[in-house]
Amino acid sequence: MTNYKSEPLKCWQKAKELRDKYYKDYQTAHERGGIRWTGGAWSFDAIPYGLGDDVYPLTGEPYAASIAFMKDFSLECLEATEAKGWARDLCAYMRNYWGSMYLNKWAFGGEFPKADFAWQDHICCSHGKWDQHVAEYENIPYFCIDVSVGPHKDLDDPKLLYVVDQMHEGIEFLEKATGREYDDEKLIAAVNDECRQTSTWAEICVLNKHKPAPLDEKSMYSLYVFSTLSKAKKEYADFYEEVRDEMKDRIARGVAALPTERCRLISDTQPPWAFLSVFRYLEKFGAVSVGSLYTFSLVGIWEDKPDGTWGPRTTPEQAGIKIETRDQALRILADWNLSKPEWQHFYDPTLKTKMMKRIYDEWDLDGIMLHLNRGCEGLSCGIMENHWGLTDMGVPVMSFEGNMGDSREFDEARTMDRIDSFMERLDLKKIS
Amino acid sequence: MTTAGIDMGAKNIRVLILKDGEVIARAEQMAGFDTAESAEIAFNNALGQAGINKDQIDRIVATGAGRESAPLAQETVTDVGAAAKGGNRLIPQARTIIDVGAEEGRAIKTDAAGKVMDFAVNEKCAAGAGSFTEAMSRALEVQLEEFGPLSLKSSQTTPMNAQCAVFAESEVVSLLHAKTPKQDIARAVHDAIADRIVSMVRRVGIEPEVALVGAVSRNVGFVDSLKRGLERDVIIPDDAEFVGALGAALVAAEG
Amino acid sequence: MFTQFQEWYDKRHEYAKDWKQRTGGKVMGCFCSYVPEEMLVAGNILPVRILGSHEPQNVTEPYIFGMYCPFCRDVLAQGLKGRYDYLDGITLSQSCIHLRQSYVAWREHVGVPFDYYLYMPNKVQARAATPYLKSELVKYKAHIEEINGRELTDADLDAGIAAVNRNRELMHKVYEFRKGDTPKLTGLEAMYMTVSSTWIDKEEHSAEIEKVLEQLPDRQVTRDTGARLMLVGSEDDDVSFIDMIESVGATVVVDDHCTGTRYFWNSVVPDDDRLMAIADRYVKRPPCPTKDWEERWRFPHILELCKNFDVQGAVIIQQKFCDPHECDIMPLREAFVKSDIPSLFLEFDVTVPIGQFKVRVEAFLEMIGSEDLF
Repeated sequence: MTNYKSEPLKCWQKAKELRDKYYKDYQTAHERGGIRWTGGAWSFDAIPYGLGDDVYPLTGEPYAASIAFMKDFSLECLEATEAKGWARDLCAYMRNYWGSMYLNKWAFGGEFPKADFAWQDHICCSHGKWDQHVAEYENIPYFCIDVSVGPHKDLDDPKLLYVVDQMHEGIEFLEKATGREYDDEKLIAAVNDECRQTSTWAEICVLNKHKPAPLDEKSMYSLYVFSTLSKAKKEYADFYEEVRDEMKDRIARGVAALPTERCRLISDTQPPWAFLSVFRYLEKFGAVSVGSLYTFSLVGIWEDKPDGTWGPRTTPEQAGIKIETRDQALRILADWNLSKPEWQHFYDPTLKTKMMKRIYDEWDLDGIMLHLNRGCEGLSCGIMENHWGLTDMGVPVMSFEGNMGDSREFDEARTMDRIDSFMERLDLKKIS
Repeated sequence: MTTAGIDMGAKNIRVLILKDGEVIARAEQMAGFDTAESAEIAFNNALGQAGINKDQIDRIVATGAGRESAPLAQETVTDVGAAAKGGNRLIPQARTIIDVGAEEGRAIKTDAAGKVMDFAVNEKCAAGAGSFTEAMSRALEVQLEEFGPLSLKSSQTTPMNAQCAVFAESEVVSLLHAKTPKQDIARAVHDAIADRIVSMVRRVGIEPEVALVGAVSRNVGFVDSLKRGLERDVIIPDDAEFVGALGAALVAAEG
Repeated sequence: MFTQFQEWYDKRHEYAKDWKQRTGGKVMGCFCSYVPEEMLVAGNILPVRILGSHEPQNVTEPYIFGMYCPFCRDVLAQGLKGRYDYLDGITLSQSCIHLRQSYVAWREHVGVPFDYYLYMPNKVQARAATPYLKSELVKYKAHIEEINGRELTDADLDAGIAAVNRNRELMHKVYEFRKGDTPKLTGLEAMYMTVSSTWIDKEEHSAEIEKVLEQLPDRQVTRDTGARLMLVGSEDDDVSFIDMIESVGATVVVDDHCTGTRYFWNSVVPDDDRLMAIADRYVKRPPCPTKDWEERWRFPHILELCKNFDVQGAVIIQQKFCDPHECDIMPLREAFVKSDIPSLFLEFDVTVPIGQFKVRVEAFLEMIGSEDLF
């Protein structure tokens, strides 16, 4: 059996520092006269950057995922939310976030820092409601943009205009909420950085087509997170270029994420954050998850390349487009985000099945693991149809139930049992 | 070649010994608290039945939820793999195998050789498995073995929800308060469990023939409800509860 | 007096098949109450809201994961079981993610000649919501024209708007009779009327309401009104539940359901730009919680209903796993507390444990009654 060379990621330490800095910056923003806003990983975060260089976001999903990773604190948060009477089957991220807010406990120590305003995107039944409650509880202004205009392939001008008009309305809101004057130049820079950052992330994922994969999904989680924290932050766009270069170097030197790689998989939806052990368990069989539609495209922006493969979307700068005005910047930003692959299947699961089959073929996979994630109605939407569609096309699929952010809804032993059955099906035995 | 399969189930442990493809012994023992000890007892009983000693067994494979703690086993196979293998041996024409045990129900799609093509397993809630029937028979104060036949006496469909065992139990209480005849409630319970199982089977697709294995296949009330839910007949092999152990013994024989 | 509505409720499929035969018109299955029925009526298409049957089923699990609401699964089950095999088309008007899956699964696994996903905006509070919806209605109009093979004229639209508006206004008039000290109709009767209006030909339904309206003023009500209750929450067409409530000393006098007041409460204000007028109606109607942000438009409306119908208590019912309503229930209960309206919360599934709910409703009524004593 081949054993590839493996070594730790060089970018690991920097990733850790950047992430710590993100939460620290948010927590201490007011000490420097800066602005804090809360919202989501899907928020158009480039827009508030027009308020100045001292604007710090807190995106709810990755923050809640951090809580979920801390099993005990997560339980405390979930219970605090339940004590207020909320249903247990609501979005697990939202419940963790609300719990942290109710308890006035910041996951990284200290009190929960109150935002100056909330800036959200409505993507599922919960997002618009999530910060509606936060805004009421914390008594802060709130603005939320609806992006429910359908898949990108059907996008036309009226649909785009609906989103862009809300963005214009949003800028008026930002000026009113903060008393600051809006700077279009900063917006334009942020839009360019967002396109660069999210396109580069797709480029990194493309490199994982290589056998052996230079990056496993568990490590990917620590890297893709930056675009969920702030897609439009220049620092993260620069960092992704470093990561990309490191991946190229690993490929050139034959460095694998898993030295015993002999089976390539992808997962689907957010993982059960308290149980990333699932991925370590796969390694016992020589199986590596090389990503997922989720890790590739929750933040990564993609397009069809001339050779028919899936690759990073060409940025406006790469296409020679110079953004001159606010309206032009907002149009580009809206179009860019509406093309997000992970957004398309909110309307139609058959689009997701096709994308997953494409990854299965292009990344040369052996199977797909679907996490039937009770914690997220958005990403679990249509997931049974995906199982059906993929199986129909002959793709080996396994599914397991769980919850990204509520450890009480994940049965570790049974999941491992399920994996055993799937590995058996793929004719894989544990490597002794 | 002589091989043994040990099925370390949640409630019962079953051992089956195969000699050159023929079953020469089978033994059953309640799992109890010390499952390893119970497995030993069952294994020794099987050896006694076969009239052989341990050294005469070439290979032992364990399956079931507690398979990792099975004594003597050289290897393990999952419940899914064992049920597919055993089911295929007994009902070669089966392409869909439904395995319902005390704690878990499974639906398995196999090819002609008994290889697993897809599978679905019921999740955390116990409303789709045998232990739920037990709880409900207790609630109705009916002996478990009478619960199935009682249900056959009913010709009345009483809608009951089994999305969740707790919900289902409260519906049973409601039915009792409403003075619904016990046989109708028994049928409602079996219909509800069967609905859960049928839902799961539909996830892998119902491809004929359909075989039902596992201990719950002994419950005539459940089987009747299942057939109605599937809108087709199911084949139940003899010794359906030993299918897992048989599958494990067959895997052992394959080396 | 309401038997015709009950018969329509019980025999919805027979009615639609018969309608199709005798009128030669087409039938459109509607997911959600946001489908602009005016436009369908304008094209002589019968809008039929697809609802569940309150029976356990085992056919939807391959298509919709069990974490989604029982209603969306019950709806799909009807399609998979072939009960709506007379539909010529289906339309989803975008609202919650749950029902969206029923639509897609129906399109993929039940099949129907025409299917249409109408991108109803979720931010009805956006200033661009109405013009944007209008632009989507322009496309929907073209879809209807494609189905019918003929143009939908202004005159057609005017007739469609008038027919649906008239039906709404008539239901309003019936609701007026629920306001007095002795409501002239029960909540069950009202439910039969409003729910059946979601699939009965508007003219026929309106004609039947007019008959009822002639008789209602003189109706002698012998039953005790008991506590005056409001039903609030997700989709609710559960007649056995409302019947149970009204059998233990209460009368349901008003509701906030998408199969009730939310469906018919406001009308289209006629305008030369017909589609803009229709769009405006759907944007401004009492919202589903999934569309009710950033501000809350829904709660003031509910509290207003409570005041106008002299509500003594509210029963909040929620379809299990319905995220939009789950996100509203806690703040709604707070709003009720602030207005001194006691509320009882019950979680619904496809079937409900009537016996246990009865115990809770009785305790709730006792509580309301005892408050009256002091």
